[in-house]
Amino acid sequence: MKRLYALLLLCCLPFAAYAESVAYTVRPTEIKQQPYSDAASIATLPDKSTVGILVRKGGWVQINSKMGKGWVKMLNLRSSSTATKPADNGLQSLFNLGRSGSSGVTVATGVRGLSEEELQNSQPNPAELAKLQGYAVDKRKAEKFGSSSRLKSQSLNYVAAPGN
Amino acid sequence: MSNHQVKIISLALVTALSGCAEFDLEKAMKVGSDAVQVAQKVQEANKPLTEPQEIQLGRGIASNLLGASPLLNNAQVQNYVNQVGRWVSLHTERPDLPWQFGVLDSSDLNAFATPGGTIFITKGLMKRMNNESELAGVLAHEMVHVLSKHHLAALQKSAKMNIATDLAGQALDSKGNPILDKAIKAGTEVYAKGLDKDDEFEADRKGIVIATRAGYDPYGLPAVLQMLDSANAQDSSLALMFKTHPAPRDRLNLLDQIMANRFDGYTAPTQTDKRFNSELALLK
Repeated sequence: MKRLYALLLLCCLPFAAYAESVAYTVRPTEIKQQPYSDAASIATLPDKSTVGILVRKGGWVQINSKMGKGWVKMLNLRSSSTATKPADNGLQSLFNLGRSGSSGVTVATGVRGLSEEELQNSQPNPAELAKLQGYAVDKRKAEKFGSSSRLKSQSLNYVAAPGN
Repeated sequence: MSNHQVKIISLALVTALSGCAEFDLEKAMKVGSDAVQVAQKVQEANKPLTEPQEIQLGRGIASNLLGASPLLNNAQVQNYVNQVGRWVSLHTERPDLPWQFGVLDSSDLNAFATPGGTIFITKGLMKRMNNESELAGVLAHEMVHVLSKHHLAALQKSAKMNIATDLAGQALDSKGNPILDKAIKAGTEVYAKGLDKDDEFEADRKGIVIATRAGYDPYGLPAVLQMLDSANAQDSSLALMFKTHPAPRDRLNLLDQIMANRFDGYTAPTQTDKRFNSELALLK
């Protein structure tokens, strides 16, 4: 039923929406009129409700749901379209076996420049390294960039890991 | 081991020996001085790389990564990413490292950091981003690997070498230093295998704070993780990233736990949207 509803939602969403815009709630979630904690509440979605994602704004996303349209906290949602991630012993590696460079371990390899095998066999590229260093900017230029962009430095401590 | 601890251990050894029935002062002194030497060796083995060594090693690894994928040939985009990255780096505990940033001409979705402050992001990942805060979040995540020296620890472990000790007293600029070459090779392999899961979680946890300090949306990095979580996992452009990182779902769950309502008061900058979109247009 949930799947059917997700499909229905997909059909009704604006043309810009695509498969990855369907999500579900991971806890009871208030739908707000505006993307702020103190904005008025429209309704509360129960845990595991399916929603269609419209846009994101900061930590909030605008959603469509059977309980109405409004804003919910982004991290109260997880994507519904998550496929099975390729496991080390999954089908992917059956199709795509290769032998890695120096370790001699058989591993899955891709076809692009940054595959596991290509990284292990890569040779230095000093010409590109020199180019990279040429693009670097110094502290002063970076400070100017920040202030002219009206990006405001704010002091904030790291957050401890859960359980610490 | 601190010098103080070395002295205490040596003293304890000498004191223990002096309690022997037939006390031989000369022998005791000899054992004592051997103990000091052993203790100093242990101390040496735990010594971190000097900053110039760290930078040199990181540049060697960066050169190898560039051997796998060259830079995107667009000075404007490279300059833009360097400005964003260098600005963000000023909000870390190592603002004076020679931070440098490069966009790799690869359709893969990935980002890398090498010791001493070199950060790469692929064109493929940048193209999937929606704003500068997302870029800042990913760069900040990578910076944490540099700040916490995750790759140095991984390579010492995997190559069973202690680079600092092995390199001690050697001229750094000598071409073809075999120890440095070995470390660079072992270091490059770390990128194929990936870091510990906890290193990645730490980079997420601290990365959101660094990006926020620089005035960006704390939710930039989580938004990229949402995108990765909903991406088609069978896509080969994600193969290495998924293999070398914890599942995006697990990373989101951790950020969900630690962010809670803590970051509600920070707003997302919108004045940077226009320039981000014009840079993005250059990637097409």
